[in-house]
Amino acid sequence: MEKPRIGVFVCNCGTNISHIVDTEAVRAHAQAQPDVVVATSYRYMCSTPGQETIVKAIQEHQLNRVVVAACSPRMHEKTFRGACRHGGINPFLFEMANIREQCSWVHQDRLAATEKAKSLTTAAIHRVRHHRPLNSLSAEMCPTTLVLGGGIAGLTAALELADSSNDVVLVERTDALGGNLARVDLTAPHLDSARDLLTEKLTRIASNPRVTVLLRSELVALSGFVGNFTATIRGPGGNGAGPERQVRVGNVVVATGYQEFDAGRITHYGHGKLPNVVTSFEFEQMLRAGRIETRDGRLPQYAAIIHCVGSRNREFHPYCSRVCCMTALKYAHELKSANPACYVSDIYIDMHAFGKGCEEFYKATSEVKTLFLMFEKNEHPVIRRAGPGEDCDMLIEVNERLSGERIEIPADLVILMVGVEARSDAAEVARLVNISQDREGWFMESHPKLDPVATTTDGIYIAGTCAAPKDIPDSVAQARAAAARILARISKGRIEIDGVFAEVDEDRCSGCRICNELCPYSAIEFDEGKRRSHVIPAACKACGACVAACPSGAITGHHFTAEQIHAQIDGVLA
Amino acid sequence: MSFEPKIVGFLCNWCSYTGADLAGTSRIQYPPNINIIRVMCSARVEPDFVLRALAGGADGVLICGCHPGDCHYSEGNYKAMRRYPLLKTLLKEYGVDNDRVRLEWVSASEGQRFADIVTDMTERVRALGPLRLKTDLQTDRVER
Repeated sequence: MEKPRIGVFVCNCGTNISHIVDTEAVRAHAQAQPDVVVATSYRYMCSTPGQETIVKAIQEHQLNRVVVAACSPRMHEKTFRGACRHGGINPFLFEMANIREQCSWVHQDRLAATEKAKSLTTAAIHRVRHHRPLNSLSAEMCPTTLVLGGGIAGLTAALELADSSNDVVLVERTDALGGNLARVDLTAPHLDSARDLLTEKLTRIASNPRVTVLLRSELVALSGFVGNFTATIRGPGGNGAGPERQVRVGNVVVATGYQEFDAGRITHYGHGKLPNVVTSFEFEQMLRAGRIETRDGRLPQYAAIIHCVGSRNREFHPYCSRVCCMTALKYAHELKSANPACYVSDIYIDMHAFGKGCEEFYKATSEVKTLFLMFEKNEHPVIRRAGPGEDCDMLIEVNERLSGERIEIPADLVILMVGVEARSDAAEVARLVNISQDREGWFMESHPKLDPVATTTDGIYIAGTCAAPKDIPDSVAQARAAAARILARISKGRIEIDGVFAEVDEDRCSGCRICNELCPYSAIEFDEGKRRSHVIPAACKACGACVAACPSGAITGHHFTAEQIHAQIDGVLA
Repeated sequence: MSFEPKIVGFLCNWCSYTGADLAGTSRIQYPPNINIIRVMCSARVEPDFVLRALAGGADGVLICGCHPGDCHYSEGNYKAMRRYPLLKTLLKEYGVDNDRVRLEWVSASEGQRFADIVTDMTERVRALGPLRLKTDLQTDRVER
């Protein structure tokens, strides 16, 4: 092996790193390590001039190894691998030391943080000496996309892909497309009809031969890797045992949506017991039928809307469901339009009117004489039946925050603004497509800010309310973004698979087949003739389970070899 | 000067390393005694890595993976989980206290949990004092 000539580049990240870590001391420490030819620090290593510094140093100093001490490799490993490639060295002859997320952002003691940054950088220097050039493989990118869920997000993604002449398989569990949007009458704040929004999509889906719609169907298995997945889809049939079919797809858009919070869980709201306490979705049914009335067919004289049912509450969901405030204002508007004499009370915690046109909608609604009452978070207004002498059906007691008084208001109809929650089958979907869920059950993005469409599994994208509560424009935007990401990949025709995979040294392999059973991707094949195992590189996802388990030490996990990790261990302890 | 333990952490790329990054982006503070080494999966952690760290001067080793059922590679964490008791048996022979080597599950959303585990482990190992191995692992090391 050629003698290592290492360049070390320490990033200040503005002051994100340098306010705690003495980056000059880290640089000097790195410079003093054997084989380090040049060590530089810079304000923003990831910026264009920062990357140029690396490229120039590689050429000027004939570097054959590069270490960047900066943020998390999850953030910029790709960027710096690119810089190495531009400089003319293999991108795998590079290692990153995470001195931001795992150092300057989590420690306050300047001295200790600087020492730790030195250790992490030293470990990277030790490790990079053992790096080997790796070449990426190329595989076919199947242009067909699987879309899970036929709500507004799934429909939008499917159309976007099909309009660019790509095949789409759209799988929907229920017997109709439209999702939760199909249950809604008008949409806030523009008061345009949900039916109109959907009809446009549904007509286009129906007339587009590129889209195969599979209703009453569900994904039961997904195998393979980006560009080359095989999806097993179960069609309608008796007792969930319908016929299964297999489809080859290159990418997957998960757009499985949300479920509404079960209002019955807040017992003292009386949903299910008091006949005129309805959920927002039950009220939508009335609106769609064009009849706002109590259970016994009377026109309500007093209507009350209660916000945050299941949302922003320590007992149920801590988050804001985002769509309910505007929907509540829409109800106030519709109640008033249907019967201008109706007294409407809107009982809320805070009014979240953050979207385009929403604050204006709030203002317009407050001008049509809606009574707004504010209650304390984690408290609940109390609903009880009115006595025989009252002119209303129910009475609601609210500890009103602005006046500081306990106020009692009449109601003939109470609408509970039920929150949005992750579907009860979300965990099953996450397991099938191998993505993560957050604490609340929402599917997790690859990066919450910078990559809110991709997931940690290559080729699996998320769109709409399966990722978090969202309104229609946000769901549509995310669906289109997911489709655009997939289109970019399809247009390349092939997919690059990086050279990180496991490899069996056939001379050392004893043919025991332990690794065959361990591999979750069946990526290890046994050659009966040679009595040896070998890895199929494109199917290997480089977890390293076989590497650690091989009793003969015959398997190398490229880029995570025992040699490299040993060097890193010795480096952090040096 | 008071004793500052050295802890080596082996974190899986998909859940735990991302969880540790989240502790960073959320600015959740924890002691600087841990140095993290990224592996793709907790199943990649060979017992040899732990022994090498302890022999090389670490006072504790933390292995973190995805929660059971959540592994990016389906079931790598179960493999780590099955290997762990065997490792612990071996470590007992060397006189390594139970609290010095831990296997924990940290998801990508559990920045706080990661910080809590590191804080707790640092305190426990600090209380135990520097690691003194019964047998000298340096001379007894299993080279592969």
